Amino acid sequence: MKTDPTNSLFSSYPQKTELFDEVFEKDGSTKAIYEKLLCLYGEHSIMDYVNLNNKAKSSFFNQGITFQVYDKEKTQEKIFPFDLFPRIIDTDEWDIIESGAIQRSRALNLFLQDIYHDKKIIKDKVVPLELLSSSANYLHQMMDVNPPGGIYNHISGTDIIKHSDGNYYVLEDNIRCPSGVSYVICNRTALKRALFGVFNHYNAYTVTDYAENLLQILESVKPHGVDNPNCVVITPGMFNSAYYEHSYLAKAMGVELVEGRDLFVENNFVYMKTINGPEKVDVIYRRIDDAFLDPLEFRPDSTLGVPGLFAAYQKGNVCLANAPGTGVADDKAVYTYMPDIIKYYLGEDPILNNVHTYHCSRPNELKYVLENVDKLVVKPVDEAGGYGISIGNKLSKAEIKQVQEQVKKEPRKYVAQSILSLSVHPTYIDEKESFEQRHIDLRTFTLLGKDSEFVLRGGLTRVALQEGNLIVNSSQGGGSKDTWVLKKDE
Amino acid sequence: MLARVANNLFWMGRYIERSEHIARYLNVNYFSSLDAPNELSQSRQFVLRSFLFMIGEPEIDPEKVLEEEKVLFNIGLDPDSYYSIINNVKAARENANGARDLISTELYEAINKFYHFVLNYNPEYFVKKGLYDYSMNVMERTAILRGKIRGTLLHDEVYSIIMLGVNIERATQIIRIINAKYHDALLAQGSYGDKMGNSFEWSTLLKCAESYDMMRRFYRKTPNIICTLEFLVLNGTCPRSVMNSMNQVSKHLHELDLDKNPKKNSSAFLAGKLRSEIEFMNVEDIEQDVKLFIQRILEQLYNISKRMEEEFFKY
Amino acid sequence: MPTEFAITYSTQNEYESLVNGAFWQFLIIPEENDTQQLLDWEMKSNIQLDQNESVNGLGFKSIHAHTKEKFTKADFKASFRVQKKSSNPFDFIPNQNWQADLEEIQSIAFRTVNEIFLRKTRFTELPSDFTTIFPFNANKNVFENLMALNHWVFVHLFFKVGVTHVDTPLQEIIEKRHGVCQDFTHLFLAIARANHIPARYVSGYLHQGNGYFGDSQMHAWAEAYVPQAGWVGFDPTNDILVANDHIKICHGLDYSDCSPLKGVVYSSGGNKTSHSIEVRSSQQ
Repeated sequence: MKTDPTNSLFSSYPQKTELFDEVFEKDGSTKAIYEKLLCLYGEHSIMDYVNLNNKAKSSFFNQGITFQVYDKEKTQEKIFPFDLFPRIIDTDEWDIIESGAIQRSRALNLFLQDIYHDKKIIKDKVVPLELLSSSANYLHQMMDVNPPGGIYNHISGTDIIKHSDGNYYVLEDNIRCPSGVSYVICNRTALKRALFGVFNHYNAYTVTDYAENLLQILESVKPHGVDNPNCVVITPGMFNSAYYEHSYLAKAMGVELVEGRDLFVENNFVYMKTINGPEKVDVIYRRIDDAFLDPLEFRPDSTLGVPGLFAAYQKGNVCLANAPGTGVADDKAVYTYMPDIIKYYLGEDPILNNVHTYHCSRPNELKYVLENVDKLVVKPVDEAGGYGISIGNKLSKAEIKQVQEQVKKEPRKYVAQSILSLSVHPTYIDEKESFEQRHIDLRTFTLLGKDSEFVLRGGLTRVALQEGNLIVNSSQGGGSKDTWVLKKDE
Repeated sequence: MLARVANNLFWMGRYIERSEHIARYLNVNYFSSLDAPNELSQSRQFVLRSFLFMIGEPEIDPEKVLEEEKVLFNIGLDPDSYYSIINNVKAARENANGARDLISTELYEAINKFYHFVLNYNPEYFVKKGLYDYSMNVMERTAILRGKIRGTLLHDEVYSIIMLGVNIERATQIIRIINAKYHDALLAQGSYGDKMGNSFEWSTLLKCAESYDMMRRFYRKTPNIICTLEFLVLNGTCPRSVMNSMNQVSKHLHELDLDKNPKKNSSAFLAGKLRSEIEFMNVEDIEQDVKLFIQRILEQLYNISKRMEEEFFKY
Repeated sequence: MPTEFAITYSTQNEYESLVNGAFWQFLIIPEENDTQQLLDWEMKSNIQLDQNESVNGLGFKSIHAHTKEKFTKADFKASFRVQKKSSNPFDFIPNQNWQADLEEIQSIAFRTVNEIFLRKTRFTELPSDFTTIFPFNANKNVFENLMALNHWVFVHLFFKVGVTHVDTPLQEIIEKRHGVCQDFTHLFLAIARANHIPARYVSGYLHQGNGYFGDSQMHAWAEAYVPQAGWVGFDPTNDILVANDHIKICHGLDYSDCSPLKGVVYSSGGNKTSHSIEVRSSQQ
């Protein structure tokens, strides 16, 4: 098949050449890896595409893959916006991402092991003590606790972007309860249903093997002396915005989805209440935050947790994934030390780049940040979900002043990074009924078990749906795309 | 299976079944009354009062003139009345949500679509022109759900729990419908020489239970009180009969609790007891005091459900 | 000569409405250490309990008790027999001056190990207006400074029951100058930590008879790290060093790590709780 230059879907694609487009070269020609795809999409008119897009949307809606929006009048259900035009990553690039993600997860695990035991990395002055002493996420209850299998961050979500220089950079590590993996699988299903003819022409890795790998990882960290571990997923309940994901994972792994009230602790063992009486639980994939795990040890007003759970964990009778207290290591201030952390524990150079970061806690770097707010992204170190981020070149003078004041007041709370130019990808925009360039990133999912590791070959490509916007989090109105990782040609 | 989730599945089954029976009661009574043989049975007020009686909120004031649109909205789509069809469907879906990891994607999707259907149904249209369309849709969608329950789930304890909910609710609703129509027949007797035993209301009752055609086939005569009660209560081959529901309840309870000789006062014991009582009952006994019979059966069904809660659903 | 103590802990809990299940954690078992030996213990209740030994977040022995019974009143009575060796807190050779102490406590290795007991918590963060309320004397060593602090807290605050509660902020305690042993301890901790000395909250029993404050209730004091000596107990409520009459249960960052009774009770409405403690000794 030949590429049709008057391809109806993309004929009016407004390409800004100063942006790094993953599909089109600066001269408007198609990059080799996308040629076949464009050709196949070219068989559809824009009306066909709109039609497919709407069908896919209603399929999401009917399956209840939705989140709630609270309005004054009533709550509304919405689907997460997604795009039927996939992103393709070729084998060689993926190898870098995959090995880089594993490297980071292993380094973070060793870091957590260290800072909850001997704290050698601090005594050796590789990272400052203040990194721990000022972190609200450091749980002193975790000191000298040995998690089964020696694993802290069983599940990590690494957010990666492709910069205009063509290299991948890590934006942040998420090792508390990273979410989004169910959307990877839903996106794939939706795309296969809508455009099965297209998928056939590429040799991409499946994404449906995530659940079985997750179960294997969870079973690998079973408590000592247990042969066939009983694994469960714990959720805050059906009103949580990620409930669909929790129920999906439980169903796909074939394990029970429990709430705190379904569990109880007796003699430092955890049991669930079934129709046939109590049944012992050995491994808990927990999707509730540290603070809510056990009202006796953490927030006393928590009704989501299980009294006595932490004691059972300390005694080694149950495994929690991820371990409590992992939040200390996905603090944005720790992120900035990642290259040093990787070198310290693994003796290797980081495979994936870090974005250069200025620490406002260091006086000379603070000075630079205050003078260059307009050229930097300033972030609070302990907020998740894209809140409190200011992007320098989008700020008015008054706003710049405001940021300077905030940073000056509590320098330790902020870090700053150069403004990166995220790559863009052709994305179908509903209101305009056409494709436009939008910024994207990639959340990869890495699993770490006792003697094994796994990276989901695909991940969630997140799209900033507003033109020019760089923040891709779903809580900030981002969409997503199916992501194809190609197999090596045989 | 988790006790809480079992509770969710049980009530999901009950709410699905309940919405179906309410919808059919509205549909059948409203439309068959239009050409009823006597004036009272034709009267709107009579029908509206029958609706309220059936859902358990009878109008006590005999003088009060009911407004049709209000009553229809109240039972069909009012989110503020606990017994409305919309709330039953909402509750069914909420319970399905709580057990989402255990039921098939296909079943969940069908419940979810059902929920969005009732949620988005225009109340204005419903009270003016939509009764037939809405109630038919509710009935058809519950039939789809029954198909998905039977066809897409493992027939293991999950299935048994749902079927327990469905059948206990079915027996309860059939008894409630008998109660309501018996009440109607009492009121309508005498007008135009209509005798209680041959009341027009018996045909309506059978239609409310989707059993009219099969009853005609079985008895080959116009329904009267005796054969109607016999068919709906005692006939084990009639899929809507109390006998059949109790057979199902006993069967599924046995699947959950493999004890051959159920413990005294366990739910399996209570269900077995009610089942055998009905098996060896004859219709003349029922007809002697219908009200008492209804009251006793409802009480026993309630006790079985309560006992199940203690045995299986406590969390 | 070891002393044997017989300790009784009792608590009465009354609930407005029927309780349908409960789970309690008691942090009341005396610690076993160089000077303390737990001989035996038991706990009884008016309700049917499943109880077992467990640990709290910092690894101290606790009792977990739960019940499926329905009740409105739950009483517990625990008794312990402890043997305590006498010890002398002055039995060490301190550094001559502040400077020598400073070298030790400011080394990165030392600070790393003791980092958590240097943390500011919501109970131990010195309010910004009061950072110089008790300046340390650079001409004295750490031990002397801490003893001075112990005395100063004793003088600054007046022991008064019922005017503060478990959540009273330090600001209010400093300003109003009253409180119970828990408040004395938090103030001591705040100032010690602000001066880079690791200090931890200790919960325990105090043997009465000497007219000490806080003898019929759970007692609290501080342990601070003294170079050359290690952890030394300071009881600012009584202006004494901890020695033979203090029976330690556990330590933590502040009160919230050491609360003797925590529970999750499935009930609506309020409740009333009272505690009482008795410590008797018999010289062996």
